[in-house]
Amino acid sequence: VASTTLTQATGAPEQTAVRASEQPTPRRRKSPREGRHWPWFALPAVVLVTVFFALPFLLNAGFAFSDWSGFSDEIGFNGIDNFRALIDQEIFWPAVRTTLLYAVCMLVFEMAVSLSLALALESTTRINTIFRSLFFIPVLISPLAAGYIWKGMLAPNGPINGMLSFFLPGTVDTAWLGDPNTALPAVALIEAWKWSGLVTLVYIAGLKAIPKELLEAAMIDGANAWTRFWRIKLRMLAPALTFNVAVTLAIALMAYDVIAPTTAGGPGDHTTTLNIAMRLQWGQSFFGSASALSLTVAVLIVASAVPLVMWMRKKEVN
Amino acid sequence: MGTRIKYVALTLFAIPWVVLPLWMVIVNALKPLGEAQALSLGLPHTWAFGDNLDTVVNDGHYLTGLRNSVLVTLPAIAVVLLLGSMAAWAFARTHSRWLRAAYYLTTLSVLLPPAIIPSIYLLREIGLDGTRLGYALVTISARIGLVIFLTTGFVRALPRDLEDAASIDGAGPWQTYRHVLLPLLRPILLVGGVILMITVWNDFFFALFLLQGEGNATLPLTLFQFASSTVDTLSWNLVFMHVVLTSLPLIIVYLFVQRRVLSGLTEGAVKG
Repeated sequence: VASTTLTQATGAPEQTAVRASEQPTPRRRKSPREGRHWPWFALPAVVLVTVFFALPFLLNAGFAFSDWSGFSDEIGFNGIDNFRALIDQEIFWPAVRTTLLYAVCMLVFEMAVSLSLALALESTTRINTIFRSLFFIPVLISPLAAGYIWKGMLAPNGPINGMLSFFLPGTVDTAWLGDPNTALPAVALIEAWKWSGLVTLVYIAGLKAIPKELLEAAMIDGANAWTRFWRIKLRMLAPALTFNVAVTLAIALMAYDVIAPTTAGGPGDHTTTLNIAMRLQWGQSFFGSASALSLTVAVLIVASAVPLVMWMRKKEVN
Repeated sequence: MGTRIKYVALTLFAIPWVVLPLWMVIVNALKPLGEAQALSLGLPHTWAFGDNLDTVVNDGHYLTGLRNSVLVTLPAIAVVLLLGSMAAWAFARTHSRWLRAAYYLTTLSVLLPPAIIPSIYLLREIGLDGTRLGYALVTISARIGLVIFLTTGFVRALPRDLEDAASIDGAGPWQTYRHVLLPLLRPILLVGGVILMITVWNDFFFALFLLQGEGNATLPLTLFQFASSTVDTLSWNLVFMHVVLTSLPLIIVYLFVQRRVLSGLTEGAVKG
C-alpha cells in the first residue's frame, strides 16, 4: 500500500494543475464539476473520526497529566504526579510487565496454533473446509464468554484436569487460573483460543497467494517440506504475518475482556494488565490516573506495532 | 498415509480445543445447579433446560440485552459500511493533499486504541454518556478506519472505466456510487461486515464504560452483570446458559453465511 501511495503522490498531476490555475488560462480542466464531490463523500467519516476518535485521543494525553478525579469538579494540570503515584503504589511497572508478558504469551500460542492449522488446511478440500469452519467457531464467541467457558474448563475439578488425570498418574487438580505461575499464560491462551481461527484464515489467504511455480521449482531442486516452509512459505507469508502480528499485539496490549471474568487481575496482581489497573483506578474515581494508564497502552501499541510494521514491510520489499 | 496422520492429529487437537469446551458449556447449561457444579461432561440426570432458561431470561435480562445489542450493532455496522465505503472511494480516487491527510488520520485508528476515558468526558459534555447513541457513535468512529483501510486498497485496484462511463452517461456522483461502485465493493464489504459483526456484537470493554443502567446493557454486559451477581461461586448452569444464549445469535447467522464468510476471508482479506 505504501509504495503505491508514494508513486501516486509523486506522479500526481494535480499539484502542477493547482499552480497552473494561478495563471490566466488554466491548462487542465476536464469538466467544471470534476472532483468537486470528493470532499463531501469523505466528510461524514472524517468528522466522526475527528470528533469521537482523534479528539478523545488528544484529550487523553491531557488528562493523563491532570488531577481529574471524582472528588473535585475542577480539573488541573499536575505534571507527572499520576505516573509517580502509580509507580509508588507499585501499580505501574508491574502492569506494564504483565501486559507485555501477556502479549508475548498470546502471540506465541496464537502463531503456533494458527500457522500449523493454516499449513494443514491450506488446500480447499471438503474435509478441510469442515475443519476450517470448526476452528472458526471460537472467533464468533465473545472474549467475555470465552473467559467463562475456559474458567470452567480450567477449574480444579474441570474437564482439562479430568483429562490430565486420565492420562497421567495420580490426580491432577491444579487451579490453572489461581496459581501465580500459570494464571498469566492461561488467560493469554484463552485470548489466543478466541482469535486463532481468524488468524488461520489470513494465513491460508497468504499461502494461496504464493505462486505454485516457486514451490514446484524448489521441489525439483530437491528441497524437502521443512526447507520449503522455512525458505519459501514463511518469507512469502510476510504480509499476512505482519498483519497478524500487528493486530494481535494491539489486541493483547488492550487485554481486558478475557481477564475480567476469569482472574479479575489475580491471583495478587499476577494478571493485572494496564487496562485492568485502569478500570480499578476508574472505579476508585481517580480519572487522571486511569487516563495515564490508558495513555500507556496507546504508547506501548505505537512503540511496538509501528516499528514492527515498518521493519516487516522493509523485509517484504527485499 | 501422511494425510491420514494429519487428520488424526487435527482431530486429536480439535477435541480439547473446540469440541470439549462447547460440549461442556451445552450439557452443563442443561443441568440443575447441584449437578453442574461438578463440571462433568456427562449428560444431565435431571434436565433443567426450562428452569435455567427462565432464570436467564428473567434475572439475566437476556431479552433486554438482545434488544440493545441489535439496536447498537446493526445500525452501527450499516453506518460504518456506508460512510466508510463513501470515504474510501474519495480517498482512492483523489490526489488532494487534504484528503490524503484525512486518509492517514482515519487509518491511524486501525491500530490505535480508542481513548475510553476522554470519550466518556466528551459524551458527558454533549449529554450522551451512558446512552446507546453515545456508545454507537464511539463504536462507529473506532471501527470505520478498518473499513476505510480495506476498501480504499480495494477501490485502487479497480479500473476507473466503469465510473467514467457512468459519468459520461450523465450519472451524478451519488448515482455512480450507488449503482456502479457499491455493487463492485460487495466482496470487501462482506469481509468488513463480518469483522465488524464479530467485534461490535461481542464488545464488552467499551460497553462497560460507555453504557449505564440495566435498560441500556448489551448482551456481554448483561452476561457479566448476571455472572457477577452470584455471590460466592459461579452457578455454572446459569452462567453457561447465558453464554449459550449470548453466543447463539452470531452462531445462527454464521451457519447461514458460513461458506461466503470463509471464502471471503481466505480470498480477499489481506493483500498487502
